[in-house]
Amino acid sequence: MTGNDIVDIATAAVESNWQRKGFLQKVFTPQEQLYICSAPISEQMVWQLWSMKESAYKLYTRQYGGRFFAPQKLSCTLATETTGKVELGKCSYRTNTIVTKNYIYTTARPAEITHQGFINSCFILPELKDQRQFVYKKIIDCYCSTTGYVDKNLSILKDKNGIPFLNCGKIQIPVSITHHGHFAGFTIY
Amino acid sequence: MTNEELIGKLKTIVKPYIKNEEAFKNMNEQTDFLNDLKINSANLVDVILDVETEFDITIDNESMEKMLNVKAAMDIINTKLAEK
Repeated sequence: MTGNDIVDIATAAVESNWQRKGFLQKVFTPQEQLYICSAPISEQMVWQLWSMKESAYKLYTRQYGGRFFAPQKLSCTLATETTGKVELGKCSYRTNTIVTKNYIYTTARPAEITHQGFINSCFILPELKDQRQFVYKKIIDCYCSTTGYVDKNLSILKDKNGIPFLNCGKIQIPVSITHHGHFAGFTIY
Repeated sequence: MTNEELIGKLKTIVKPYIKNEEAFKNMNEQTDFLNDLKINSANLVDVILDVETEFDITIDNESMEKMLNVKAAMDIINTKLAEK
């Protein structure tokens, strides 16, 4: 299983004031606040760490169920500028982040899985009436082109907890979907 | 403070962050901040900070964990106010 999260930097700048009093202290551990202070672009580091936490949270709740809002419990450490680890209790997740001028996109996978055996993609989300169908079609097309699997009946459904999956008849493949502002992304597996 | 007054105050606090007007209009104890009001999770931090300022309380991490819906927020505010 995997998780992913995207942050549209321009949208985040409008929606959130991370510099407001108390914001960083509520969300980030002392170590993470240090990353933010010492980063060349603090804003970028704020959203990089945020997307690491969110992608790991999605994966954790998919594995164990439940919902909670505890950003500090998801503790991030960076191995390189773009790779890192998020720990929550006994669980450990590895993350990979793509940082561009316009968006920050992180995928998370369980730490014990060392290879990157999953499909992921992020892209511009056009202004459409039905953005959900656009994303669903992208996921199905991507899955088919990557695996060579051809089936007109593939569909994206949600389980009782609202977690999406790719329905291939007898097999159900987990999918994680993210969107923010003008961008969206997904992971399959 | 009555429950109605408390919900009224919460409505003022969450208003800048909501993305679903319909759910906001009908906001009640059962309303979920993320699923119903479509507040993004980064703005949930703002809601929590605004609640702290409005009621002059501190919401510790343990309480914050549960603050996903109106009912939980009301319980936390009432508990913290009683501790003052």
